[in-house]
Amino acid sequence: MKIPFNYLRFQFFNTRPYFKEWKKLIKSSEFTLGSYVEKFEKKFANYIGAKHCISTNNGTDALILSLKAANIKKGDEVITVCNSFYATTGAIVECGARPVFVDCDNRFQINVSQIEKAITSKTKAILPVHWAGASPDMYKIIKISKKYNLKVIEDACMGIGAKIKGKSPGTFGDVNAFSMHPLKSLNVMGDGGMIATNNDKIADWLKKYRNHGMINRNNIDIWGVNTRLQPLQAIVAMIELKKVNKIIKKRNQNAKILDRALSKIKQIEIPLRSKDYKETFALYMAKFKRRNQLKNFLLKNKIEVKIHYPKPLHLQKPSRLIGYKKNDFPYAENQAKELLTLPVHQYLSRDQLNFMIKKIKYFYAN
Amino acid sequence: MKVEIIDLKQRFKDEEIQILKCIKRVLKKGNLILTSEVLNFEQSICKYTGLKYCLGLNSGTDALLMSLWSLGIKRGDEVITSPISFIASVSSIIHVGAKPVFVDIGKDLNMNSDLIEEAITNKTKAIMPVHWTGRICDMNKICKIAKKYNLKVIEDSAQAMGAFYKKKHAGTFGDISAFSTHPLKNLNGLGDGGFITTNKKNLYNKIKLYRNHGLKGRDNVEIIGVNSRLDSLNAEVLNYRLKKLNNVINKRQKNINLYKKLIKTTKVNIISENSDKKNANVMFIALCEERDELQKYLKKFNVQALVYYKNPLYSHKATRYLNINRKNFPIANSLVKKVLAFPHHQHLKRNEIEFVCKKINNFYKK
Repeated sequence: MKIPFNYLRFQFFNTRPYFKEWKKLIKSSEFTLGSYVEKFEKKFANYIGAKHCISTNNGTDALILSLKAANIKKGDEVITVCNSFYATTGAIVECGARPVFVDCDNRFQINVSQIEKAITSKTKAILPVHWAGASPDMYKIIKISKKYNLKVIEDACMGIGAKIKGKSPGTFGDVNAFSMHPLKSLNVMGDGGMIATNNDKIADWLKKYRNHGMINRNNIDIWGVNTRLQPLQAIVAMIELKKVNKIIKKRNQNAKILDRALSKIKQIEIPLRSKDYKETFALYMAKFKRRNQLKNFLLKNKIEVKIHYPKPLHLQKPSRLIGYKKNDFPYAENQAKELLTLPVHQYLSRDQLNFMIKKIKYFYAN
Repeated sequence: MKVEIIDLKQRFKDEEIQILKCIKRVLKKGNLILTSEVLNFEQSICKYTGLKYCLGLNSGTDALLMSLWSLGIKRGDEVITSPISFIASVSSIIHVGAKPVFVDIGKDLNMNSDLIEEAITNKTKAIMPVHWTGRICDMNKICKIAKKYNLKVIEDSAQAMGAFYKKKHAGTFGDISAFSTHPLKNLNGLGDGGFITTNKKNLYNKIKLYRNHGLKGRDNVEIIGVNSRLDSLNAEVLNYRLKKLNNVINKRQKNINLYKKLIKTTKVNIISENSDKKNANVMFIALCEERDELQKYLKKFNVQALVYYKNPLYSHKATRYLNINRKNFPIANSLVKKVLAFPHHQHLKRNEIEFVCKKINNFYKK
């Protein structure tokens, strides 16, 4: 039995619904921005409950533009978590600011109790990450930001469809970023990103900045860049948006099955689950003793597992250059040694899940 | 008779089966980011242009930005460029922190190479000629000057795919070159896209890291990068369309020749071509007396003619801070009042061009 991590072949197996809509787009020739992109932005805003949504070419650009819209610049410090994808930190550096890391907690999220200690006179913003499709305690983070007058930019790249006490990631901060990369809960057939904000001025600036700063064809207002969601992808996203709740539901069911079985094995530590947080399970991660041996064992049995990621952000080469070193964040470093990501996607059958559980049990029994 | 400046609908109609096949081919593989289709496209571009390296990016704008960045152009530097171009040529210079220095254009609408030397200061680091509308600049002279003053040369070849000068393709003259595959180009995707070409391995290596988060392998970050990748669906469409590029350019040239034959007024000045140069014919711009009236007149007969662009780059609100004296650019100031682009795309029929020319001739007879 083979258990693949990548499910895109199955998801896009029937191309008919996409082609049908694409033909309409091609007949209208609206290949840069245009009505399809606008329509999707509105639907997305409605889905997460934000006033304005502005699409970008990818999640990384969504982060960079969000930080720029929040006026983060050279000399500023931005507090973020040391376990995330590289783009979270990359975006801060791209704006000229300095990333200030804090450790993560046993839910793989930013350790909220460490944020205040990291604040200096240069701190301008907090950039929490909804890592793996779960969320940190955004209510506490907003409280801290208000106390110190800081901006909050949420990295909700994996958080489309999640909820924190009923409220969507990306609706807490000042200006927030999402990704629709192929391996996210709401995905397109390539790169895609989105920004959400309730601030009219920021929305207005973003709409100009992402499209060369143009106010019309012949006049520009500011110097902008080119980062636009492809209309082809906007159509894919619109079709997928209708399915996203179902997809997340299925992933949650799969995760529950895994949780129940794996929590009985004492060498495995499942992150704390709470009713307050609805997760998307963009990734299903847990901590496993003898991780590397287990990984090789599972791969040998054709169970495609991954590690997100073996090296935390503060130990990557560019972070070391600004002074971060080993033992700075013991929790994240320990996690990086033990965490493993298992397939949890919506195309897994009960048999496949059982097979995976059986193999893991077998590994620890021997 | 309705005659439009470009006909993307017809292009799709002709290619529908092939293009849908391209997309299906990619989707079947289940992998959508930086796939073999992108690599194939990059290699095909190397073969076509005779350059050693190519990297597919998200847009022509990003290609310009990364070209400047890879050469180390930064805050405090000056880059000499043309005031007649799309906004991205100058915004890319500003985004790396450098100052754009304009020189006036010649009658071919390209930067006047005789004026470059007097614009050089001790801060000048690079020259960025723009091959406007697909017509290659005076590259021999520009490169000679660059060599004399030890300057880098970035070719803005956004419109020059398929343009040659003495059998050498655009992009083979300078250090690095930026191309666009935007829908309105003659090699066009179904949305944004671009690429860089260079013969320099170090520039290639730098941008290869930078376009994909600075990642070396999956787990290690070498530098802080961004996300700017050519879409795989578009890459496969471009692979298919590259094979037809020469036909597209030749058909457009035939259409221009027909215009030359049929326009019987001295009030429309068709820019003459140097026999050494092969124009990529992305746009067909002529210099017209009473331009605005002519445009309105043609519109009455459903003939679409567009102005590229009404404003030179130094006259935008966003460039005001540079305090540029408009009087230094007499040719650019006078020619922006005359430029008008006529329909000349490959799907035009002979009778359509005859119709347009008849209307042009009638307008001036009045």
